[in-house]
Amino acid sequence: MATSKSDNKSTQWIGGALVFSGRPDPVWRVPDEAARDLQSLWAGLQPSVGRLPVAPALGYRGAFLRDAGGREWLGYGGIVTLKTKDVVLSRLDPARQFEKMLLATAPPAQLSPEVIRASQEKQ
Amino acid sequence: MALRITVDIFSGRANPVIEVEGSEADEVLGRLKPGRKLTGREAAGPEPILGYRGLVIEQIGAASGGLPGQFRYLQGNLFGARLSHAAEDERFEDFISADAGLLRRLSLGEGFPDVFRKEVARSRKERAEHEEKEHHKRRHHHCECGPLYEPAWWNVPQRQPFNNCYNYATNYRTDTFAQPGLAAGSMYTALNCSSVGQAAVRDDLINTPNAKNKCPKEGHLVALVIWPGVDFHWFRKGRNGFWSHKPGSTPVRNVDNSNHLIPDPRTANRGPYTNFCTFMVVMHGHIKIR
Repeated sequence: MATSKSDNKSTQWIGGALVFSGRPDPVWRVPDEAARDLQSLWAGLQPSVGRLPVAPALGYRGAFLRDAGGREWLGYGGIVTLKTKDVVLSRLDPARQFEKMLLATAPPAQLSPEVIRASQEKQ
Repeated sequence: MALRITVDIFSGRANPVIEVEGSEADEVLGRLKPGRKLTGREAAGPEPILGYRGLVIEQIGAASGGLPGQFRYLQGNLFGARLSHAAEDERFEDFISADAGLLRRLSLGEGFPDVFRKEVARSRKERAEHEEKEHHKRRHHHCECGPLYEPAWWNVPQRQPFNNCYNYATNYRTDTFAQPGLAAGSMYTALNCSSVGQAAVRDDLINTPNAKNKCPKEGHLVALVIWPGVDFHWFRKGRNGFWSHKPGSTPVRNVDNSNHLIPDPRTANRGPYTNFCTFMVVMHGHIKIR
């Protein structure tokens, strides 16, 4: 089938929220199309040269997107940071669109209303 | 009867000495008559400091007045051989530095009694602050069985991502993100104090709700807090008396969400982990977690 052929070639995109302490953090598979949208969004963001926002030790600490190649985007506090083996780049996302779009890809069972609420609090 | 009173105040210069005899000596001994016995920390005697350190009184000839041949008076207290008592006159320094006091006899200038009075006040303040600090230290530094705070050991790629707050609090590395009750075959079933607490007890932690932040004689203290319905978190009390924690896969740290040291997890800024459940004791080698 064409679909499975396409799936075989696709990258495995993993999304997650950094939020828990005792339980493992929620992670989920991010559909290819959503991952592409997120990459497009990232590509259009302005560079950030300021200090990175510091997340609290306990509670919501951001949402991440990872690919199988070891790249990771982390959205928190209006900044998206891409880490690869070689570079760390930060870009401005004052409306936190990247983070919100990414969290929206989570299956409903993965993120409880309390976690969603925590992610929406002022950062 | 004669007395030699040395004002122990200088460091480089020789301390001034006053000699008194007869009725004056009797009055001094009367004012320094031992009263109640000192107890606890105050009985240990003063710490040597720079500045005024007390009056050293020597009885010339036979000792009398229930006092040894040589003793020290400092701010109301007497110290010497078999002597750690409050003096009858707790303001003896005021007496000797008064307008007609004994200090006037010293050839240290007109202003010396004033200098002395100020120095007594300063040293009293310094000693009170020192005692307060010591008290604070004693309150927070009596955790001989508490684990060391060693973030450098935990915060490395082969350990940090795979050990959570429960691993860190129990000081038990499993590399499995340990869950309360799992090793005992019965994990918690709800994210509340009761369920997670009972699960930890099944792992052989000892529930000690009345620990009141005091270190146990054996083992070390941990504390369970809950983000209601969402997650649990643990803190541990270290050897230095302060608490530290490891939020999930993040680094071990010794500050709360306000970046403050944690003398008591009940009052720490714990973010959404609003429910303080209980203290528990981890007996080293007794627990099993997975």
